[in-house]
Amino acid sequence: MSGDPLVLAAGVRTPLARAGGAFAKEDAGRLGALVARELLARAPWRPDEVDELVAGCVGVPHDQANVGRVVAVRAGLPTSTPARTVQRNCASGMEAVDCAAMAIESGRARLVLCVGVEVMSRYPLCFGEAATAWFERLSRAKSPWSKLAAFAGLRPSMLAPKVALLEGLTDPLSGLIMGRTAELLAREWSISREDADRFALRSHERARAARDSGRLAREIVPVLPLEARPGAGALSHDDSIRDGQTLEALAKLPPWFEKPDGRVTVGNSCGITDGACALLVCRESFARAAGVAPLARLVGRAWSGCDPARMGLGPVQATARLLRDTGRALADMDVVEINEAFAAQVLACEKAFDSAAHAREHWGGAPLGQLDWSRTNANGGAIALGHPVGATGARLLLTAAHELAARGGGHALATLCIGGGQGGAFLLEGAA
Amino acid sequence: MSATPAPGTVATLSFAGELATLTLAAPHRSLPVIDLAMLEDLERAVAELERRADWQGLLVRGRDERTFAAGADLDAIEAIADEDEARRLVERGQALHSRFEDLRAREKRGRMVAAVGGACAGGAYELCLALDLVVAADAPGTRIGLPEVKLGILPAWGGATRLPRRVGAKKALDIILKGRLHAAKEALRAGMVDRLCAPEDLLRIAAEVARGERGLARRGRGLGALLVDKNPFACAMVAGAARRAVLRSTGGHYQAPLDIARIVPFAALASRADSLRAESEAARRLAASPTTRNLLRVFRGVERAKKLGSAADGARPAPVRELGVVGAGVMGAGIAGAAARRGVAVRLADTRQAALDSATTAHRLELDKRLRARRVEGHEARAALDRLDATLDLATLRHADAVVEAIVEQLAPKRELLARLEQHVSADCLLATNTSSLSVGELQGALARPERVVGLHFFNPVERMPLVEVVRGERTSDASVARAAALALSMEKTPVVVADVPGFLVNRVLGPYLDEALALLSSGVPAALLDAALRRFGMPMGPLELLDEVGFDVAAHAARTLASAYGARMGPGDRLDAAIAAGALGRKSGRGFYAHGAGRARLRADASALVAALGARSPLADPDAVAARLVLATLAEAFRCLEARVVESEDDLDLAYVLGTGFAPFRGGPLRHARAMGLARVVDELRRTQDEPDVRARPGGPERFEPCPLLLSLADR
Repeated sequence: MSGDPLVLAAGVRTPLARAGGAFAKEDAGRLGALVARELLARAPWRPDEVDELVAGCVGVPHDQANVGRVVAVRAGLPTSTPARTVQRNCASGMEAVDCAAMAIESGRARLVLCVGVEVMSRYPLCFGEAATAWFERLSRAKSPWSKLAAFAGLRPSMLAPKVALLEGLTDPLSGLIMGRTAELLAREWSISREDADRFALRSHERARAARDSGRLAREIVPVLPLEARPGAGALSHDDSIRDGQTLEALAKLPPWFEKPDGRVTVGNSCGITDGACALLVCRESFARAAGVAPLARLVGRAWSGCDPARMGLGPVQATARLLRDTGRALADMDVVEINEAFAAQVLACEKAFDSAAHAREHWGGAPLGQLDWSRTNANGGAIALGHPVGATGARLLLTAAHELAARGGGHALATLCIGGGQGGAFLLEGAA
Repeated sequence: MSATPAPGTVATLSFAGELATLTLAAPHRSLPVIDLAMLEDLERAVAELERRADWQGLLVRGRDERTFAAGADLDAIEAIADEDEARRLVERGQALHSRFEDLRAREKRGRMVAAVGGACAGGAYELCLALDLVVAADAPGTRIGLPEVKLGILPAWGGATRLPRRVGAKKALDIILKGRLHAAKEALRAGMVDRLCAPEDLLRIAAEVARGERGLARRGRGLGALLVDKNPFACAMVAGAARRAVLRSTGGHYQAPLDIARIVPFAALASRADSLRAESEAARRLAASPTTRNLLRVFRGVERAKKLGSAADGARPAPVRELGVVGAGVMGAGIAGAAARRGVAVRLADTRQAALDSATTAHRLELDKRLRARRVEGHEARAALDRLDATLDLATLRHADAVVEAIVEQLAPKRELLARLEQHVSADCLLATNTSSLSVGELQGALARPERVVGLHFFNPVERMPLVEVVRGERTSDASVARAAALALSMEKTPVVVADVPGFLVNRVLGPYLDEALALLSSGVPAALLDAALRRFGMPMGPLELLDEVGFDVAAHAARTLASAYGARMGPGDRLDAAIAAGALGRKSGRGFYAHGAGRARLRADASALVAALGARSPLADPDAVAARLVLATLAEAFRCLEARVVESEDDLDLAYVLGTGFAPFRGGPLRHARAMGLARVVDELRRTQDEPDVRARPGGPERFEPCPLLLSLADR
């Protein structure tokens, strides 16, 4: 490692809100700008000291194609500060941090503001090609007669919208919606419905405890949602956490993606969620010179591809690379944050981490070893908290960094699976 | 202003090909106005245009595309001594504009076009109305309108005649009665201008229109011309409705809106000469009236206050770009929202999330209102939304250029807060307190940099109240005063510098007035009579209505502060305690002297039961006597403030009191009112009041009406 490591100097996130709920009227630009402003207010740096803003966002709002730029200007960065939006599906927030790291390593930037943001509530409905063509004909028609003729071309079937959210969650390479990739892993790695439900229950229990102890509040800035009713209060906690979750209730849920025999239900999957997370990335010396005690050092970053139909195993391959590159072992990790897209998917990863066959096939070496659940997802994960896809990568890093601090330092692995068949894995080190 | 400019340089006329160009250059002024020099040049120009036959189109323009002329010269209006002088000035302007209008009758193909950018108000817009067409710059600085009513006069250079012919009587009434200046798009929507274009294109396009190379027609009135403008019955109905609305909103205290409501509806029906004569007759009376002089004085005061935002040498203090506000109660929320809506980035801190939430909600609702009224566009509303952030963490105010505290009105917590703030903020951050009752000097206390602490006393509701008292504490530096004033100005408020005395200026003068009202109520004067009397005098609301708005708890706190600082003349300070104990706090509790629910507040039958009855009954029974009593209490304290140099001048005192309380603006403020009464008479009436039985029977009664030495000596002169 270089003598002056990269650090996550500071970070903050919104609460994560169930889609269609508290943040249903939010837009990504404003939510991203809100966390960015909050972070800048807490930090010693002025907006003009930020060299660049990188935003991760999967489904950019149709009216904010470069949502990063919208976030930057609305956050009060000078208009001369460049900003971009990056996209690596579920890892977009982590990709933003990777881009920041590269910008700093290349010497082009010293301080980069990273934002991961997703407002899945606002994914639009789209019209199909037939309807689009009809609109075009109609708008080109000049005379009243040709307008009428064009209008008459409308067929009811054209009005059936395509749901951008569902289309976005379907992988065009394998043709599978994400839940079905998890079903595939559940079958291949023999994950039972009960295993998956138990895992989901534990996620909720841990998240609830972390919320009640104030552990999660350390990451969160309360947000009064746009168009909240007068008299309504700010949202200050992740609102997907179910207090009364039981195994019985989970068991009653029908399989969602593969009826009737599937194992993946809405109860043991992450929810569709809105939220944003901001991180400041710089060199450690840069942070210390400003009197900032960084959240954590960023000491390793790895990406890996995998079979799109088995995208859920992405964390395993990516972690293998990360550990190889950094010379560390899974057993060295004091904290692990692995994204919980689906309970079955995480449990499959757990088995694959420890599988000699999987290791042989994919990296021709030894298996990585066992996941220690006492140190893994100690505050629950996306099944309880939610998975605002563009924000999650940054959120995992923020949570991992806070967890390192809570546990007095050491090393943390933050890893996630990525739709389309990839994995990302970042290594943090306590900076105390 | 500088020396008189050479004739022919103020409004210059030039000819190029067949286009005549009249430029309002006004080289002797930073902002061109239609002063006597301009009038003379315009008369010279119109004479030449009448004489020459070699021009086909006329372009009237400002010195550049963002400057036109701000209207008639206020100095000239202020200098009007009598009706005769007023008549001469009015008729001179009318004749000038009519001559421009009559140029239309010439055989020609080109047209007369005004190219307008920046301010184009009053007399300047009236000139535009006399031409064929108006093209305006689509730029934020463009402001077009007829604001004469705000000075108690009417647009009498043909504005009241030509605007209704252009846009119809109803719209013209609305524009002239409100006197608001319109942004470019609003002006186009209202039909006040005929076309917008980018400022960079303004002069070229207007010239092309004038030469007839580019088509542009005035939007016709269509059927409206037949059904309304030329229909005597419709005109009479419009006039009747306008008159009733004016009487409702002004209480009949202002003549100008009544004249406007009388003249404008018939402008299109009457001949030009008749309508102009009506304008002129009304204007000559109005222009020479005390109302206009008093309103002008307030207007001048507001303009003068704008200089407070810079140092004596004209240097401007570093602007406040980021403002911290601590305390999200009514005042803190009001200050934070008002600042955020006017371009200042605000962080509002409180320890209660719920208070922060309701402050944020209030800001959003205010923005929604402006969006619906189309006063802001979506992206502007979003930016204003982003400018208010709420936080539970005081440390995040670290980047603020200034912090205003508006927490609980107690010395210890405020001192502690200021000391904590000093830990977080930068060395040159201004620290302001919105205290209304504590001494700024005492708050400066043990701070490391007391010189940056200043009082910034806003009034409730902050969004609407135009005054901010800038309180100079014992150790406050001049730079801090200037910076605080600049902050107030950037929030579009009028700052008045006041001394660090209990109640500062406005609340101190208001104290005896409100207590006198309560004392009279306790002595048997009916509540309805009290409020009606003061409204009749010209106050925007009666004293009991005002107490309901302020809140009994707040009023009682202020009264106690004043009583302990100034003694018995301020009253006992406990007259509302029983009501407060019974849960009546005024509007905020739904119950005060009035019952506040849905719809209009109604005076409660048992209003006087809220205060304990006093033994001595008051003999006052008619509204004039009641109003006189309360006004005398005000005057006595106002002169004491002047004597104690709470403000620098009589002008400042009147300005602050009019803006802070709404004290009958047409009367010009308490001191102006006293001078109009005659100071000797004021002294006499004060003495007589001291002898009234109910006053004598009351502790502090005679002291309240004791004329101070300054008043006595001024009255002697």
